[in-house]
Amino acid sequence: MEVKFNLNGLDVVYHVKPGEYLLDSLRANGVKSVKKGCNASACGACTVLVDGKPTLSCSVLTASIEGKKVMTVESIQEEAAELSEYFAKEGADQCGYCSASLALVVHALKEENPHPTRQEITDYLVGNLCRCTGLQSQGNAVEKYLGGKK
Amino acid sequence: MKVNEYVRAASLKEAYSLKKSSPKNKILGGGLWLKKGNGEVDKLIDLSRLGLDQIKEEKDYVSVGAMVTQRAFETSLIIKKIGGGVLSDAVHQIMGPAFRNSATIGGSVYGKYGFSDVITALLGFKVDLVFYPEEVVSLDEYVKKPGFADGILTEVRIYKSSAKSFFKKVKMTALDYPILNVCVTKDKDYRIVVGSRPLVAYLCEGAMKYLNEGGKDVDQAVELATQELKLGDSMSAKGEYRSHLARVYLKRALEEVK
Ligand SMILES: Cc1cc2nc3c(=O)[nH]c(=O)nc-3n(C[C@H](O)[C@H](O)[C@H](O)COP(=O)(O)OP(=O)(O)OC[C@H]3O[C@@H](n4cnc5c(N)ncnc54)[C@H](O)[C@@H]3O)c2cc1C
Ligand code: FES
Ligand code: FES
Repeated sequence: MEVKFNLNGLDVVYHVKPGEYLLDSLRANGVKSVKKGCNASACGACTVLVDGKPTLSCSVLTASIEGKKVMTVESIQEEAAELSEYFAKEGADQCGYCSASLALVVHALKEENPHPTRQEITDYLVGNLCRCTGLQSQGNAVEKYLGGKK
Repeated sequence: MKVNEYVRAASLKEAYSLKKSSPKNKILGGGLWLKKGNGEVDKLIDLSRLGLDQIKEEKDYVSVGAMVTQRAFETSLIIKKIGGGVLSDAVHQIMGPAFRNSATIGGSVYGKYGFSDVITALLGFKVDLVFYPEEVVSLDEYVKKPGFADGILTEVRIYKSSAKSFFKKVKMTALDYPILNVCVTKDKDYRIVVGSRPLVAYLCEGAMKYLNEGGKDVDQAVELATQELKLGDSMSAKGEYRSHLARVYLKRALEEVK
């Protein structure tokens, strides 16, 4: 079936199977920044933004995003690069497998709540598991990054 | 999940007639639970164009459309007003925001999952479920009845309440399913709910009757509740441990809301 949506500012048409998940459609179309971790709605590595909201692309059918706006890390490259400096300083980044999804989640947090408390940062990041570092150092990095933006 | 056809329903009538026409046709909520199944779905019925994603404040109740996401529910100021925000708090503890941006209230209630934090918290209040076509069933009845409704869940009606409320999800890690969940509310009457037994949530009617008829002894109420509760074993905990947890949290809850 045909699904029309907007990907990082461009209108696209994907030809997909009715039961195909957005993660697989994006990767099949060359968007390899979106990662498959658990493929079971549990790790957050596949997070993209759908109409600005963090969404697990492994668990959302491509057919269901007809007419919506999808953002992957390609659309926030400068911001992701800036954020990665903060992550590096806090030891919150190693293999990078989770980084693209985290950058999108931090972008969404900033849009929704530009001055979050530490607890609000933790609550927003909790669904994005990092097997190399952890929520503590990532929380520190995000706190400094958003604090620096105030 | 293998899907043969994806149908964007144009009306509830169309969605219902498709659902009725074959047990292999399924309604799509957020699809997170459906993804766990390996079976074949013939027609997957998308309700997203039917305006079921609204939360509205009516005179006596709050109307929550079945397609409202857990995240929209938890962040709604209307929902935060019910029972001091206990419903928001309970839903907030499920997985991460990206998960809750897809999972729906309709899918969470319809599925009657044993572990459900959503059902345990909702049972702390008077709640009606509205199904298409033309059926209104209380949540109390729905969880007691075996099997699932034949219709399409369109709306969850939560009657307004300023009850003093307590909710506890006992879990091993932040993203875990609950080992046990407890919700106790006190408006005019007490409502005492224990879920993830691991069976679906249970209203402890004996203990409620004792307190609602003037009983004052919290230990006696906890004793009555634990006697009537059926708590079993699962991979995450033994029934004996669940029973210990139930005693501790019911006592704490009753002391907090009294
Ligand atoms: C990894 C994981 C962890 C979870 N952890 C928890 C937890 O800790 N606590 C908790 O409470 N819950 C938990 N859940 C359950 C989750 O919160 C949702 O309740 C569940 O995913 C169902 O919601 P959904 O919108 O995804 O429904 P779907 O998967 O879309 O649907 C579920 C079922 O309901 C039917 N259905 C959906 N909407 C309707 C409707 N309007 N009318 C009729 N039938 C309908 C579908 O056909 C299907 O049979 C977890 C789920 C997963 C996958
Ligand atoms: S790959 Fe989607 S949540 Fe893990
Ligand atoms: S840096 Fe390796 S998974 Fe996060």
